[in-house]
Amino acid sequence: MTVNKPSSSSKRASGNKRAALLAGCAVTVLLTVSACGGGTASTTNKDGFAQAPQKDGALTVWVDATRMDAAKLYQQQHPGVKLDIVSYDGDANGSNYLQTKVQLFNRTGKGWPDVVFSSQNNEASWAVDAGFAAPLNKGLVDEATLGKFAKGANDVCTVGGTVYCLRNDLSQAVLWYNAPLLKKFGYTVPTTWEEYQQLGEKVAKEHPGYLVGDAGDSFTPEIYLWASKCGANHITGPKAVSVNTASEACTKMANLLDVLIKNKSMSISGVFSTDFGKNQADKVLLMPGPAWYGGAVFRDTLKVPAKQIAAAPIPQWQGDGSPSTGNVGGGTWLLSQHSTHIKAATDFLKWVTTDNAYQAEKAPGFPAYAPAAEAWLKGQDASGYFASDLSALSTAASQVWPEWGSGQFSQEAIWAATVKPGITQGKSIASMLPAWQDSITKYAKSNGYKVSQ
Amino acid sequence: MPTKTPAGPAAGTPLMEQGPSVMRRAHHRAPEARRPRPPRRLVPRLLTGSVLLVFLVFFVLPVVWLVLAATKTDQQLVHGNPLSFGSWHAFKVNWDRLTAFQDDAVLQWLGNSTVYATISLVITLCVAIPAGYALAMTEFRGRHTLLVSTLVVMLMPTATLVVPLFLEMNAVHLIGTMWSIILPYAFYPFGVYLTYIYFTTAVPKDLLAAARMDGCSEFGVFRHIALPLATPVIALVGFFSFVANWTNYFLPYVMLPESSQMPIQVGVGSLLSNVPSFNPAVGTTAIERPQLALATLLAITPVLIVFLFAQRFLVSGMLAGATKE
Amino acid sequence: MTVVNSSVGSAGRRPRGTDRQSRAGIAFVAAYVLLLIAFGILPTGYAIYFAFTNAGGTFTGFSNFISTAQDFRFMDAVGHVALYLLFWLVSLVVFVVSLALLLHRLASGTVSKSLRFLFYIPGALAGAASVLVWLFMLDPTVSPVSSLLGTLGFHTFGEVIAPGNLPLLFTVIAFWTGAGGWIVVIYGALNNIPQDVMEAARIDGASAWQTAWRVQIPMLRKWIVYMVILAFAGGAQLFVEPQLLSLASTGVAGRDYSLNQLTYDFAFQLNNVNGAAAVSVELLVVSVAAAAVFVARSGFFDAD
Repeated sequence: MTVNKPSSSSKRASGNKRAALLAGCAVTVLLTVSACGGGTASTTNKDGFAQAPQKDGALTVWVDATRMDAAKLYQQQHPGVKLDIVSYDGDANGSNYLQTKVQLFNRTGKGWPDVVFSSQNNEASWAVDAGFAAPLNKGLVDEATLGKFAKGANDVCTVGGTVYCLRNDLSQAVLWYNAPLLKKFGYTVPTTWEEYQQLGEKVAKEHPGYLVGDAGDSFTPEIYLWASKCGANHITGPKAVSVNTASEACTKMANLLDVLIKNKSMSISGVFSTDFGKNQADKVLLMPGPAWYGGAVFRDTLKVPAKQIAAAPIPQWQGDGSPSTGNVGGGTWLLSQHSTHIKAATDFLKWVTTDNAYQAEKAPGFPAYAPAAEAWLKGQDASGYFASDLSALSTAASQVWPEWGSGQFSQEAIWAATVKPGITQGKSIASMLPAWQDSITKYAKSNGYKVSQ
Repeated sequence: MPTKTPAGPAAGTPLMEQGPSVMRRAHHRAPEARRPRPPRRLVPRLLTGSVLLVFLVFFVLPVVWLVLAATKTDQQLVHGNPLSFGSWHAFKVNWDRLTAFQDDAVLQWLGNSTVYATISLVITLCVAIPAGYALAMTEFRGRHTLLVSTLVVMLMPTATLVVPLFLEMNAVHLIGTMWSIILPYAFYPFGVYLTYIYFTTAVPKDLLAAARMDGCSEFGVFRHIALPLATPVIALVGFFSFVANWTNYFLPYVMLPESSQMPIQVGVGSLLSNVPSFNPAVGTTAIERPQLALATLLAITPVLIVFLFAQRFLVSGMLAGATKE
Repeated sequence: MTVVNSSVGSAGRRPRGTDRQSRAGIAFVAAYVLLLIAFGILPTGYAIYFAFTNAGGTFTGFSNFISTAQDFRFMDAVGHVALYLLFWLVSLVVFVVSLALLLHRLASGTVSKSLRFLFYIPGALAGAASVLVWLFMLDPTVSPVSSLLGTLGFHTFGEVIAPGNLPLLFTVIAFWTGAGGWIVVIYGALNNIPQDVMEAARIDGASAWQTAWRVQIPMLRKWIVYMVILAFAGGAQLFVEPQLLSLASTGVAGRDYSLNQLTYDFAFQLNNVNGAAAVSVELLVVSVAAAAVFVARSGFFDAD
C-alpha cells in the first residue's frame, strides 16, 4: 500500500513490512466490522414491505429551506408529535445528497430519515432499488387520497404499478403574457403554435426587441418540446428509455424555435440570467413557462408591477385532438422503508401533501393534490397580483403529456451541456437534434438504462 | 562542496553550496561595493511596481466587487455600475434578511466553524509540529517509510475516501458528533511536510547536536532549541490548518446529520441552492444574490482576521539566534 | 547533499545517543502515526481494495479500470486535465516564485506585508463561496472588467465559457484562489535565507535577476519541489473549479470536465464506488509517479 523509492537501506525494508502488516490487519478488522454492520432485526411484512420494529421517538424529517415552513406548521398544529427537522439542500443542483447519504446509511445499517422532501422528481429511479422508498399504495395511503392527485402527477413515483412517493407540487407549463401590453399592441393571445409563430414574426417586425418566449434556459425542452409531444425522454421501464428526437413533433417545434430565435423575438438568455434581467425584463410580451413563473420569475425576480401578468393555456398544434403541455420541476415526498415511526411518518406525509393549511395557504407552488390546488388558486386570485384568474393552471394540471418521464440522468444537464452552447454560437436547434439524441443515449447508457428508439 | 564563510560558522554547508561562485568572488571584489547606484535602477523599479500593481488588481478587484455587492439590492446588482456603492439601507436589509434565514442560522454556522476549526487547530499543532521535527531532525527506523506514506496519502483523491471514513467513524460511534470531522481534520500531512521542510532547510543539525552534547534530553532539545526557532512554521501550519478546516465542504456535508451542526462553508452552499439564478426551480426567492454576497463576506472574515494575526509571526524568519552564535 | 553533522558528528554516533534519539523520534511521531493510519492509510487501503473488487466484494482484477475507461466522458476528461495541468503548473510556479521574490525585494515592510495579505484574500474564498463572484466576474453584462472581456471578443456569458476557453479559465480561477497561500510560504522560505548570503551577493554586485536566479531560487529548491508536487496532484485532481463553473452556469460548462468529477459521479450518482475507486487509483498513481520523479531529482527526502 505504500510506494517506496529504491534505496539500499535494510532498516527501511523491515519498517515497510511492519507498516504493511499493521495496515493489513487494520483493513481486515475494518472489513469485518462493516460486514457485520448490517444486522437483520426482526421485521414484519405489512403494507407491502418489511417493516422494522416500531419505536417511540422523534420523527426525523428532511426538508429544504422552502419546505421548512411546512414542517414547522405541522409541529405547530400537532404539538404532541416530536419532530426532528433537518434542513438540507433538497437534492437541488444535481447535488445527489439524498442518494449519497442513503448509500452510506445502507452500509452502516442506520441513520435513514423517516420522511424526506426532494426537489427532484426522479428519486424513485434509484430509491426503490436502494431499498429506501416505502411503497405507499399497498396500505399506507388509501386509494381515495391517491385518486385525488392530479392526473399523472404521481407517475414519476410509480415503478411497476407501485407508488413510492407523493408529488408535492406540479409545474405545468402555461402561456404567461403581459395583458395590458398585448392589448396596447393590438394582439390576441394565440391558441395554436402556428398562431404563436405568426405572432412572433409580427412582433419582430412591428415591435422589435419584445419577446414572445425564451429558449435560453436548461429547462427549455421541458416547456416547448415536452408540450409538443417530442419523444426525447420516454421512460418505458425502471431502467429503460426510448429516445427519438427525429420525430415530427420534435422537428416541428425545433423549427418554430429556430425561426423565432433568428428574428430575435425569442430570447436565448435564460430568464434568471443577468443579461435578461438587465436588458429584457421589461420586454416580455408572451412567455410560455411553468406555474411557478408567476411568482418566482415575474413578481420576485423581474419585479413586474401588479395587474400585468396573466396566464392562458399553452398553445397546441393545429388539429391536435389531445392538448398537452410540459412540466418543469415539482418535488416529491418519500417515506423510508426503515422507519421506526411509520404511523407518525405516514400522518405527516398525508398532511403535508394534502392539507389546505400548508398546501393551499403557504405553499409557493401549485399543489399536486387537486382539492388543495383549487384552494391555492383561489388564494392566488385573491392576492391581486395577476391580471387574470389562473384557471389556465387548473386545466393544464391534467394535460401534462405522460410520455416524458423522469429518469436518473438529468435532461436539463444534458441540454445545458450539449445544446445550449450551440445556441450561443448561433447553431439552429433543428441541426442539433441528432447530437442531442446521441448525448441523451450516452448518458442514459452510462446510468445503466437500456436505450431504444 | 563544503565551504564556510567567515561571517557565520553555523550557517552550514547546505545553505551555501549553491552559491560558491558568488561567495568566492566576494573576497576579491569588496571595494567595488561602495559605488553609487546607477539611474538604470529606475526601470526595474517601475517594472516591479507595475507587475505588482497588475496582480494587485487581479486579486483584489473581485473582492472589492463582493464587498460592494453586499451593500446593494438585487436590482442594483444587475443594473448598476459593478463598482458602485449601494446604500447602507440596502446593507441593513440584506443583513436582516440573511439572519432571518432559518432563524439566525448564519450565526450558528459561524459559531460551529469556529469551534471545529479551533479545536482541530490545537490538535493539529500538537501532532504535526513534533512529527515534522522528528522526521527532519532525528533518526529512527521507519522514518523514510513515514515520509513516503505521508506523501502518498496526501496525493489520494478524496471522493472514494468518504465511504471508508464514514464506516470508520460509524465503527467508533462518532457519527453525528463533531469529532467525526475534527479528528480527520487533525490529520494534516501538508503541515507535517511544511514543518519537515522548514526544519531541514532552516535549522542546522549541529545546533541540536551541540545541545545534546551539553546534556540536554531529547525533549529538552525540542522544547528549548527547536520550538523557539520554529515560530514561523508554527504560525504557517496553524494558519493553513485553520483555513483548510474552515473551508472544508465535503467532509462536514457528508458526516454531519443535523443542520444545526453545519459549518459556514456548507451553510453558504445551502444558501446557494436557495437563490433562483442558481436553482431555478426553488420556487420562491428566499435568498437574493446580495445576501449571498454578504454571507460569503461573513464566511471569509474570520480567516482574514486569523491571517492578520498570524502574519506577525510568519516573517520573523531566521533573523535571530542560530546563525550568529 | 552531504550530511553536515560529520564535523561534530562523533557525538551523535555514539550508540547511546542514537538509541535515545531514535526512541524520542518515535515518541514524537506517535500521535501522528495513529492519525495517519486511521485517516490516511486505512481509507486509502480500503479505496484501493474497492478498485479491485466489485460491489459484492469479489476480486475482479482490472475490470473496473477497463469499464471506467470506456465511459464516454473518460478520454475527454483525460485530455482536459492534461491541458489544464500544463497551464496550471507553469503559471503557478513562474508567478508565485516571481511575486514572492518581488515582494521580498520591496524596501517597505508595510507595503510588502499588505500586499501579501491582499494577495491572500481570495484564498479564503474557497469553493462554493466564490461561485457568485465568478458568475459576475465572467459575465460581460455585469462584470467590472467587462471592457477587458469586450476587447477579447466576449459579449455574453455564454461566449466567455465556450469550451475552448475552459482550461485558461480554470487556471485563472485556481490561480486566483491558490497563489496567495503559496506566495506566503515561498516568501517565508526566502526569509530563511541567511542575511550574510544576501549581503555577500549584494557586495559582489549581483543584479536582482542574478541574485534571484543563482542564489535565492536554488536555496528554495525543496519548497519549490513541494509546491510542484502538490500543484501537480492538485491539478490532476481538478475538481473545484469546473464544479464552480458548472454551478454558476447551471450546467452549461464544467460538468463532467475532469477525471475527479467523474469519480464523484461514479461514486455518488451511479452508486459505482468501485469504478470511482479505480479512477482515483489511476489519479493517485500518476500523482505519485510525478512526485517520485521530482523527489528523486531533487533529493527531497535527504535529511539535509
